[in-house]
Amino acid sequence: MAFQNKEVIKKLTTVVIGSTALMLSLSVNAADGQLTIVTSFPSDLTKVFKKAFEKDNPGIKLEILKKKTTAGVKYIQETSAKNRTDLFWASAPDAFEVLKDDSLLQKYESSVKGLPDKVGAFPVNDPDGYYKGFAAAGYGIMWNERYIKAKKLPAPAQWADLTKAVYHNHVGMSAPSRSGTTHLTVETLLQGKGWDEGWKMQKEIAGNFKTVTERSFGVPDGVNSGNFGIGIVIDFFGLSSKGSGFPVDFVYPTATTLVPANIAIVANAPNKENAGKFIDYLLEPNGQELLLDPKIRRLPVNPATYAKAPEGFPNPFKDSSIGAAVKFDLTKSKNRYNLVNSLFDVMITYRLDDLRKATKAIQDAEAALAKKPNDDAAKLIAEARALIAKLPIAEAKSLDKEFAGIFKKKRKKATDKVTGRQAEVEQEWDKFVVENYAKAKELAEKAQSML
Amino acid sequence: MTQNKSTAGISIKNLGLSFGTTEVLKGVNLEIEPGEFFSFLGPSGSGKSTLLRAISGFGPDPTGSIKIGGEEVTGLPAWQRNVGMVFQSYALWPHMTIRKNVAFGLEERKVSSTEIDGRVDDALDLVGLKHLADRTPGQLSGGQQQRIALARTIVVEPRVLLLDEPLSNLDANLRVQMRRDILALQRELGLTTIFVTHDQEEANTISDRMAVLDKGIIQQIGTPVELYDQPQNRFVASFLGTANIIEGSITEGHFVAEKDFKIPVKTDLTGNIYLVIRPQSVTISETEVTENNRSYSLKGNIEYSEFLGETVRYSVLSNGHSILADESHLRGNKIVANGQDVWIEIEKDQILLLDR
Amino acid sequence: MTVKASSGFLSRSNFGPKALAILIALFLIMFLAVPVAKVFIVAFQDPSTGSFTLINFVDFFKTSLFRESFWNSFYVSSVSVVVASIIALPLAYFTSRFNFGGTVIIQTLGIVPLIMPPFVGAVAMQLLFGSNGSVNLLLDEHLGFTIPFMEGLNGVIFVQSIHYFPFILINLSAALANIDRSMEESALSLGSNGMRLFRRIVFPLSMPGYVAGASIVFIKVFDDLGTPLLLNVNNMLAPQAYLRISSVGISDPMGYVISVILVIFSLFAMWVAFLALRGKDYATTQKGGGGLMKRDMKPAEKFIAYAIVLFILAVVLSPHLALGLLSFGTIWSYSVLPDAYTLEHYVEVFSSAGDFIKNTLLYAGMAATIDVVIGTAIAYIVWRTKIKGRKILDYLAMSALAVPGVVLGIGYLRTFYQFDVPFKDIPLANYWLIIVIALAIRRLPYAMRACVAALQQVSVSLEEASESLGARKMTTVKRIVIPLMTGGILAGFVTSFATAAVELSATIMLVSSEADAPIAYGIYVFMQSAAGRGPGAALGILAVVIVALGTYVSNRIIQKANQKNAMSPDQH
Repeated sequence: MAFQNKEVIKKLTTVVIGSTALMLSLSVNAADGQLTIVTSFPSDLTKVFKKAFEKDNPGIKLEILKKKTTAGVKYIQETSAKNRTDLFWASAPDAFEVLKDDSLLQKYESSVKGLPDKVGAFPVNDPDGYYKGFAAAGYGIMWNERYIKAKKLPAPAQWADLTKAVYHNHVGMSAPSRSGTTHLTVETLLQGKGWDEGWKMQKEIAGNFKTVTERSFGVPDGVNSGNFGIGIVIDFFGLSSKGSGFPVDFVYPTATTLVPANIAIVANAPNKENAGKFIDYLLEPNGQELLLDPKIRRLPVNPATYAKAPEGFPNPFKDSSIGAAVKFDLTKSKNRYNLVNSLFDVMITYRLDDLRKATKAIQDAEAALAKKPNDDAAKLIAEARALIAKLPIAEAKSLDKEFAGIFKKKRKKATDKVTGRQAEVEQEWDKFVVENYAKAKELAEKAQSML
Repeated sequence: MTQNKSTAGISIKNLGLSFGTTEVLKGVNLEIEPGEFFSFLGPSGSGKSTLLRAISGFGPDPTGSIKIGGEEVTGLPAWQRNVGMVFQSYALWPHMTIRKNVAFGLEERKVSSTEIDGRVDDALDLVGLKHLADRTPGQLSGGQQQRIALARTIVVEPRVLLLDEPLSNLDANLRVQMRRDILALQRELGLTTIFVTHDQEEANTISDRMAVLDKGIIQQIGTPVELYDQPQNRFVASFLGTANIIEGSITEGHFVAEKDFKIPVKTDLTGNIYLVIRPQSVTISETEVTENNRSYSLKGNIEYSEFLGETVRYSVLSNGHSILADESHLRGNKIVANGQDVWIEIEKDQILLLDR
Repeated sequence: MTVKASSGFLSRSNFGPKALAILIALFLIMFLAVPVAKVFIVAFQDPSTGSFTLINFVDFFKTSLFRESFWNSFYVSSVSVVVASIIALPLAYFTSRFNFGGTVIIQTLGIVPLIMPPFVGAVAMQLLFGSNGSVNLLLDEHLGFTIPFMEGLNGVIFVQSIHYFPFILINLSAALANIDRSMEESALSLGSNGMRLFRRIVFPLSMPGYVAGASIVFIKVFDDLGTPLLLNVNNMLAPQAYLRISSVGISDPMGYVISVILVIFSLFAMWVAFLALRGKDYATTQKGGGGLMKRDMKPAEKFIAYAIVLFILAVVLSPHLALGLLSFGTIWSYSVLPDAYTLEHYVEVFSSAGDFIKNTLLYAGMAATIDVVIGTAIAYIVWRTKIKGRKILDYLAMSALAVPGVVLGIGYLRTFYQFDVPFKDIPLANYWLIIVIALAIRRLPYAMRACVAALQQVSVSLEEASESLGARKMTTVKRIVIPLMTGGILAGFVTSFATAAVELSATIMLVSSEADAPIAYGIYVFMQSAAGRGPGAALGILAVVIVALGTYVSNRIIQKANQKNAMSPDQH
C-alpha cells in the first residue's frame, strides 16, 4: 500500500510540474497581436464583441480585464507608471473625464465617419477628442410583470409614479456611490428638477425602497428574480433582461437623459494601433449591429443601424421624447461628484429604515386624511413631508469647490486631513437627517391619530 | 461519622443475565449478611463484575430476584437504589473540585449546604485527605483518587457498598496498604460491602466470606479458609492457591491413576475422582522414606525447582505425574538439584478427594 | 552508527533539515508575515505623511457605516453559532444517547453541507427562501404570511449556519463519545439522573468539544467574504474591506484598518477558545471511553427523532437542490419553480468555461502540492529534529488561520504590485502564480496538521531501527517515514485541493483577468449578469462535484490508512 501511494505521489508530481511548465510556456507566447481592455461591461457584452472582433482580426487576441468603473479608474491610475492597458471601455463619461484630467488618455481620430454629434441632448464624443461614444443608454423604470400582477400594482410610467403609496417597499435602486450609471441617474434628476425639488423627489421615491443594492446589476437582478417588483435602471439592463426571457418590462420616463457609453485609448498604450482598430470596429455598421443582440440591447449611435432593430426597440433619433428633456451639464456633475455620492448615502442608503418608516407613516396618514379631511392633520402632514425633504446643504454649497473638495477621497495636499473632515461632515449630516426623519414620523403619527 | 445502623443484607435468588444471546450469569443464588465484607472472586470473564453491576443497577435487566434489605430492586433504576459504588477507574469528575465531587450525592439528595459541608469534611477526614479538598482530580495520585472515590460514596450513607476491582490500577505496595485501610474503614462503618477482585490474596485477606465465580456460575461460597481447605470442585481447588490435582478412580479401596499411581484411601466416593493435595503437604527427602501412619511415600525424580524466596517449589516426576512440593527455605538450605532421585511424602489427612 | 542529537548549528547531520527549515521560514515570511505586516503598517500610517498614527482607527470608529459593519459582523457570527448549535444539538443528542437507526443519515449530514461553499449556494437560496422565493410564495398563498429568511443579515446567517453546523456536530459528537461511561454511572449511583445529570456531568464534560466547534464557526463566518458579497449584504466588515480596496483603491487606509480589525478579532476568538479549553482536556484525565449509556428509543421518540433529522436534512440539502434547479432552469422569476428546464447552461459551461476549470485544477493542484511538501517538512522538522527555534515554523504556518482571505489578498496587492515577475512585464500581484501561493498559504494549517498526525502514527522506534541498521537520516526519511505517512499526506493533499478549488475571498482580490480566473471567480462573474445565473449555477454544481469527489477520496484514503496502521503492532 505504501508503495502504491508512493507511485501515486510520483505521478501526481509529474502531472503538476508538467502542466505548470505548459502554462508558463503558453503564457510567454501570448505576446504578439495583443489588446488589453479594462472594462466595466458585463461578459454578456464583452464576449460578443470579443468573438466578433477576433474573427474579423485573426492576428489579435483580446484580453478583457473586468472591473467596476471606479475600480477600473483606480487601476489605470495606479498602474500608470508601468501601464499595460490599451483601452478603457465603460459607461459613465465622468469616469473618462477623471482620467482625461489625470492625463491618462490619448487622443484618437477614428476612421469611421458620418456619425451624428449628438444623441438626444448629449454629445456623443468628447469635444477634446480623448474619448468616443459608441452606444447610448438612457434611464428608466423596469418591473416584473408577475410580481405586479400578483401584488396588484399598476405599471409605472413616470418618476413621480414611484412616489405613490401603492409602491411602498417594492422599489429597488443602486446607490450613486456604488454605481457610475446610478450616479448619472441621480445627477440627471437633480439637474432636471433642480437641487431642492430633485432631492425631494429622490427621497420620496427612496421612501418606497425595499433595498439599495450594492451594485447597479443588483437592481435588474432583484427585479428578474422577483425579489422586489420595480427597479430604477439603465435601459439596457431592462431591455436585455427582457431579451433574455425574463418576465419583465421597461419604460423611459419623460424626464430622462441619454448618455453615451465610451471608449478611449490609454496613454502609453502598448498596442496603440490595435486599440485604434478596436474603436473603429465598434463604430462600424457591423460593430454597431452587435448592440442589438437581445442580451446587450444598447442604443447604437449610428442611426442606420436601427433599421435592423426588432419591433418596439427605442430609437432616439426618431423618437424625440427620449432623452431630450434634460440638458446634462458634465462640469457641474464632475465638480460635485463625490459630494452627491456622500449626500445620497448619508440621507438615504444608511438611514433607509428610518426614511421608510417615516414615509410609511406619512402615507398612512394621507390615506386616512383622504377619507376624513382635516385641516390640522393636513398641516402636520405637510410639515412632516417638509422635514423629510429638508437638506443639510443648499445647492450653492454643493458647487463650492472648496467644500466639495473635502469629499475627494484622494488627498492632494499633505496638510489636508481630508478623511477626518469628511467623516466629520458626514456625521453632522447624519445627525441632521436622523432627527428630521424621526420628527417627521412623529408628526405623521400624530396626524393620523387625529383622524 | 456514626456507625451505619441501616446497612442491609443482600439476597439474590436464581439470577440470570444475558448480553443479547450470550448468557453471562446463570442461576446465581446468594445471601449476604448485613455488615459482611463479601468478595466476588474469579478470573476475567467469570461474570463477577457483571453480577456487581446488576446489583447496582447497570447493564441489561436480569431474570430472577435481587433484594437489598428485603426490598426487591430488580426493575429499579440505578439512581433509586441507594447503593454506593466505587468504580475501577474511580470516575472522579475532572471538572469539579474534590469537595464538589464528594458533595455531589448529598446535593442530589437536597441536603442543606451547611450539613453538606460538615459531612464532606467528615468523609474526607475519614480517608485522611481533607487537605486536598480544593484540588481537582487531575492533581491527585492514583491512590488519593481512590480514596476520594470512596469518600464520595460513603458520605451519602448508602445501604451497601460495592467496589469494582478498586485496587487493580494501583501498584503492589499501595495495594496492600489500601486493602487494609478499606477493611478498617468497613469495620468502622459496619457497612455491608461487596468487593470484586481477580486477586485471591486480596480476597483471602479481607473477606468475611467470598463467592468464587467461573463462567457466570457461582462455584462455591464460604469463608476463605473453607474455600481453601474444602474446595467443592476442581475449579475452586485449583483457583485458590496451588494444588496438585490427579485424575483417577476408586477401585477396591484404592485411588488408582495412570502409570501405576496407587494409594489406598478411605472414602464413600466411587468412580472417577480427583485427588487433590497441596504442595505444602508434600515433603521431599533425599533418603528413602517408607510409608507410615502419617504419610504415603513415593519415589520420584526432580524435574525442576523454582526459588520463591520463602519456599522452594520442586516439581517431582513420580509414576508419570508431576507433583509439586513446597519446602520452606531458610538461609543456608541447599536446593536439591535437577535430576536427583528423591522420595516424596504425602500427608494422609491432607488428601482431598473430589467427585469428577 | 548511532544518531546523536544535533550538535552545533551547521553540523553535518543537521545541514539538510536546517537548510530546509530556513527555506520554509523564508517562504512563510515572504508570503505571510510580510504582507500581513504591511497591512498593519498601512493601517497605522498617516496616508500623507507616513508617520505612525491612530487617526485611521479613530476615523473608522467615528464612521457610522463602519461601526455598523463591525457590529453586524459580530452579530452575524454569533447568531450563526447559535443557529448552527440549534441544528447540531439534537443530532448529537440522538447519536450519543440512543441506539438510533438514523445515525447514518446524521453522519451524512455532517458532510453534505461542507461540500458546497456557502457563496455558491447563496444565490440559489435567495430563489428558494427569498422574500418572493418559492417557500414564501407558497406560504403566502396558502397561509397568508411570509418568513424573512433571507432579509438582510438573516440571509447571511441562514446560509452560514446551514453550511457550518457540521463543525459543531462533529466536535460535540466526538466529545460525547469520549466521555468515560463511569462518569455517568457514578453520578447515577449517587442518585442523579435526567436533566440534572446532563446539566452537572454530561454538559460540562462535553463543553470543550462544543467550544472548539463553536469557535471555528465563529471565526469562519466572521472572516467570510463570498457569502455576504453574493447576497448583496455590504454592511459587514469583510465586504467593506473588499469594496474599499476595489473601489477606492489600494491607497485607501480604511481597507487596511478593517483588515487589522478582522485579524485581531480572529485572534481574539481563537484565544477565547484556547482559554475555555485550557486545563480542561478531559479526554486525558478520563481513563476509558465508552461514551454515554445508550438506550433504545420508544416508538414515539423514534418518530420525533426521524422527523427532526429528516427536516434538518431537507433544509441542509436545499442549497444543493436550489442550485441544481437554477442550473437546469430556463427562467426562474417570481415563481415556485423554474418555468422550464434545459441543458443549455451546462453546454455553455463546458464549451466556454473550460478555462475556469483548467485554471482551478492547476491552481488547486499546485497549491495542494506545496501544502503537503511544506507540511511534511515542517512536521518532520518540528517533531523529529532538535533544531533550535523549530516551533516557530509551526506557529508561523498555523498563524495563517487568523488571516482572513480578503486580508491576505489585500496584503499581497500592497506588497507585490511594485515587483515584476522576471522575464515578463507583469506586476507580481497580477500574475496568476500569486493566486496559487495565496491558496497554498491559506490551506497550509490544515495540510500541516494532517501531516503531523500522519507523522505521529509512525513510531520513532521504526526510524531508530532503520538507523541502527546503517541508514542515514535522509534515506530513513525517504524509505521509512514518508512511505508510512503516505495515507495522511494524500488525505491532506486531497483536502487541500478540494478546499482550494472553491476559495473565493483571496482569489477575488487577486484575479486580474478572466483568463486567469478559477471556478470560484467564474461563478461570481456569471452571477453578475441576468443571463449568467444559469451557467453560473451549472459551474457551481461542477465546483460541488469537485469538492464532493475530493472529500470522498480523502475519506477512503484515510480509512485505508487506518486499517493498515491498525495492523502494525507498534503504536505510539
